[in-house]
Parts: sequence; structure tokens; C-alpha cells
Amino acid sequence: MLVTADAGPATSVGHLWLANFRGLGEIDVELSSGLTVVQGANGQGKTSLLEAVGWVARARSFRNVTDALLVRSGATEAIVRAEVTTSGRQQLFEAEIRVSGRNRILCNRQPVTRARDLHGLLRVTVFAPDDLTLVKGGPAERRDFLDELLAMLAARYDAARSDFERVLKQRNALLRAGVREEEARFTLDVFDEQLVRAGAELTRGRLRLLERLVPAVANAYETLALDLRPITAEYVSESSPVPLAAADADTIEDQLRESLVRRRRAEIDRGLTLVGPHRDELHLMIDGLDARYQASQGEQRTLALALRLAGHVVVRELAGAAPVLLLDDVFSELDAQRAAALVRNLPTGQTLLTTAGALPRDVVAERTLVVRDGRIEAVSP
Amino acid sequence: MNVYEGVMQTLIDELGRLPGIGPKSAQRIAFYLLKVDALDAKRLAHAIEEAKDRVTWCRRCFNISEGELCAFCLDERRDDHVVCVVEEPRDIVAVERTGEFRGRYHVLQGAISPIEGVGPEQLRVKELLARIPEEEISEVILATNPNIEGEATAMYLARLLKPAGLKVTRIASGLPVGGDLEYADEVTLGRALEGRREVS
Repeated sequence: MLVTADAGPATSVGHLWLANFRGLGEIDVELSSGLTVVQGANGQGKTSLLEAVGWVARARSFRNVTDALLVRSGATEAIVRAEVTTSGRQQLFEAEIRVSGRNRILCNRQPVTRARDLHGLLRVTVFAPDDLTLVKGGPAERRDFLDELLAMLAARYDAARSDFERVLKQRNALLRAGVREEEARFTLDVFDEQLVRAGAELTRGRLRLLERLVPAVANAYETLALDLRPITAEYVSESSPVPLAAADADTIEDQLRESLVRRRRAEIDRGLTLVGPHRDELHLMIDGLDARYQASQGEQRTLALALRLAGHVVVRELAGAAPVLLLDDVFSELDAQRAAALVRNLPTGQTLLTTAGALPRDVVAERTLVVRDGRIEAVSP
Repeated sequence: MNVYEGVMQTLIDELGRLPGIGPKSAQRIAFYLLKVDALDAKRLAHAIEEAKDRVTWCRRCFNISEGELCAFCLDERRDDHVVCVVEEPRDIVAVERTGEFRGRYHVLQGAISPIEGVGPEQLRVKELLARIPEEEISEVILATNPNIEGEATAMYLARLLKPAGLKVTRIASGLPVGGDLEYADEVTLGRALEGRREVS
């Protein structure tokens, strides 16, 4: 079962104020602590409302667009203000997202200089129409999925990921510039060691996460698809001849170091870092067959939903509070049977759902917002 | 924003080239300069000229200096055998404010950053190596920034210097003094835990 009777304390967004966020004008609305349904035709601003809530959680868009694109055209800044309640504590989040220059973020009227300092204020689980790429897309999609969950769970993995990305950029620049002289080789040695340290930390985090995530994915898939075939996963790395597991955590540094020695010639020739967690692959398998290539589109879609639900469950268990669920137009992509299964198994806690059409029968909204032309036209009740 | 003519636009453009000054700030400063007393504006222009004419790099440590050697290299009360390696001259000011260090300095004038095309050969590394036998340096403190580039530079220097039998140390990273653990971010606190010390 996905829904447990005792889901623990939930996080929720109460009052939400927005101005000039994407297509939205001024919004001043109270969200339900249960299910809020956002209705409206396409292009009216439903997704923007969800994206604004997502911005509070990550200080960036969940659609991975740059902040400048989030400001309504003609305006110089967008405003996002939200009352966030976690474990009974109410906090006020305020942000000015600027077209040029630094954003300004306040939490309880105190300036926040690093996104990292917002850690744990609000966590969200996003379901979007393009989630299918989690299963069908390339390995980068699944790596990002894991890394985003990790960042939600512990600030140290957020730091490990950004350290790793920085090391990778520097090391690639060095390899591209050419490593011919003794001195450059000596510099490469230094970046090798940095790559090993940051890379091993990130890999360990992913493996520990997978240990909890994979059983949850299998569980969710079974519930959603009513399918008893087993779901398994393999984390495959260039540095290891066999798939890695959490038990390998202690040997990862050594393995990375050895592969860097083994692949040095090739890396110098190609001017590119060929070893590290940025090239690892997570294979998801239904009954032993790789879901990316050997599952039907329906199975892939269900597996993608199962990944999101499982991520939600794992974060809820480890962080001690259920994230806010943001469901962006998910039912349009599902057949009636799967939609019904999703509705039956939606975790409890605050949920925001957008839809352009009718909702599955069992969905009972506690509040409905009708969005039209960037404004909230009606609220009921 | 080319709405002004002639010298005014030139002034705004020049100010806009300064680090940390955007087009709007440049415009504000330009108008401020027009408004102030002519003497005040001339004094600023003169200060810039003087600084450009007279300030150069210290021949020994590559700090800024008005003569051949900077004030820290000339100070005879300082310990010749310990040298603190920093990225920029302004880092010397930060270390000096602690009042904890009485040795000499060496300014690398940057950190290893292949993205910006900066390798060890673009930094004052050779000059540091030359100073070690010359000045009989026995300890090198690596005080580069605690970011990827600073750590890479520190590691590079440590690997270069340690085989020479020197004592090479790296400044610790961790918690601000006077702060509460409760308010420290997890990453900083985590690193402080890694670098913990036994209480004597």
C-alpha cells in the first residue's frame, strides 16, 4: 500500500500571493490543506500556479527554465510570497525573481543568501506530463531524478552534486585545452583526486537512496498496474564490472581512482571526462527486461508514475514530513484504469492538481480555483 | 542604454566596465559625479591616476606595493620561516585582521581554473618555489579559498612542496566563532565535524 494510516506531519502552503509570475497577474489565494483543483483552459496559467509553489521549494523552476523566463513579459520582476506550514510551524517565504540581477529571497523577513539555506522549508513532488522521459529518456533523466531526491533529503548531497559539477567543468576544460606537458599532467592529477572525492560522495548517496527507493518503486508499480511482475534496478558504472549496490560504498573511491588511471589515455585523446557518476546509468527492469527499450508505452508511463510516487514515499519517510504533491495535467495522459488506480493511491497531504477537462470520478476537491487569463476567476468553496 | 550623448555616455560606459557595476548603477554614479563639487570629482580622478602610477607588485611576495617590496616583506619583526599562501592581496588583509599570523605572505594572484585558462604557470608558483631555499622557509600555510579552485590549488601546491621536506598545512574550514550550532548550515557543520580535533 502506498497510503499508510499514519503519514506523519505534512507540509503545506496556506496563503499564496503572486505577481507577474509567468502569465499570471496578481494572485491572492488560500489553498486547501487537502486537495486543491486548478481548472481552466490551456494557456490560462494553471501550470504557472503550480510552478510558483515549486519555486518556493527549490528557488528555481521545476521545468528547468531560467528565472528570467519566469517574469511576465513587460515586468522587471515576479513576486512569490507563500505561507508555509511544517509540523505546525508557520513560516513566511518571500521572493523577488528578477529579469536581471540577483533574486531577493526572504524567509520570515530575514534575507536568505544561498538557496541551500532554504533546505527543508518546503518539499514538493512534481508529476508532469513529460514524466514519461524518466523511463523512456536517456540516462541523464534518471540521474537527475535521483540527484534531486538526494538534494531534498540532505544538504550535503546537494553540495556534493554542485561540487562534482564544478570539478567536472574544470577537468573537462583542462582536458580540452590539452594535457601534454608534465605540468598539465600534474594539474590533472589534482583534478583526478577532486573528481574521485566529489564523485564518490555523489555515487554513495545515489546507492543509499536506491536501496530504499527500488522496493518502493516495485510496491507502487504493483499497486498502480495490478501487475505482479517484479521491478528491479541496476546501477551500472564504468568503474565497476558489476552493478553497484549500497554495500560497495567503501570501495567506490578506489574504483574511481583505478578507472581514472585505466582511462587516462582515452580521456586525454578525447578531451573529455569519461569516468564518474555523470556517466552512470540506472537501468529499470520489468521482469528482467530493460523498461527503456522493452516495455510498452503504457508500462513505461505507469513505471514513471511509480518512480514519482516512490520518491514521495521515501522523502516522507526519511524527512519525516510529506512533501506537497503537484500534479500537472497528469490524467490527460492516463487511461481510465490507470487514472483510477492513481487516484485511489494518491498519498495524503496537500495536493495541487491542474486539469483542462473533467476529473476522474473519485477525485473530490476541497477547493476549486478557476484560472482564466492569468487571474483567478472563481474560488469555491 | 545608449540614450546619452558624447562624454556622458563615455563616462557611463567606463563605469559600467567596473566589476559589480551594472548599467543602472553606472548611470547613477555618473549623475552623482556630475552633481558633486568639481574638486571632489578631480580628487577621485587623481586618486585613480596616482594608484595606477605608483602601485605595483611586490617583487618578493606579489602583494600590492608602492616600492620594490611591500610593507609585510619589509617588516623585520616578522618570522621569515613561515609563509602564508593566499590567492589575492585582499586575502592578506583578512589574515592580518586576525592578528594571529606573524610570518610572511605569498600572493598567487589567482587560483587554478582551467575554465578561465588559468594553470599553475599563470600563477606565482615558480616564484614561491624559488623563495623556499632562498629564504629558508620551513612551513607553508595554504590559505586559498575553500572552493573547488582553491582546494585544487592547495592540493597542487601540497603535492609539490611536501616532497621537499617542508611542513605544509591547510587552514581548517568550519564554523564561525560566536555562532550557534543550531544556525550553522549542514554542509559547513559536516565539514567542521570531519576536521574535528581532540580536546586537550
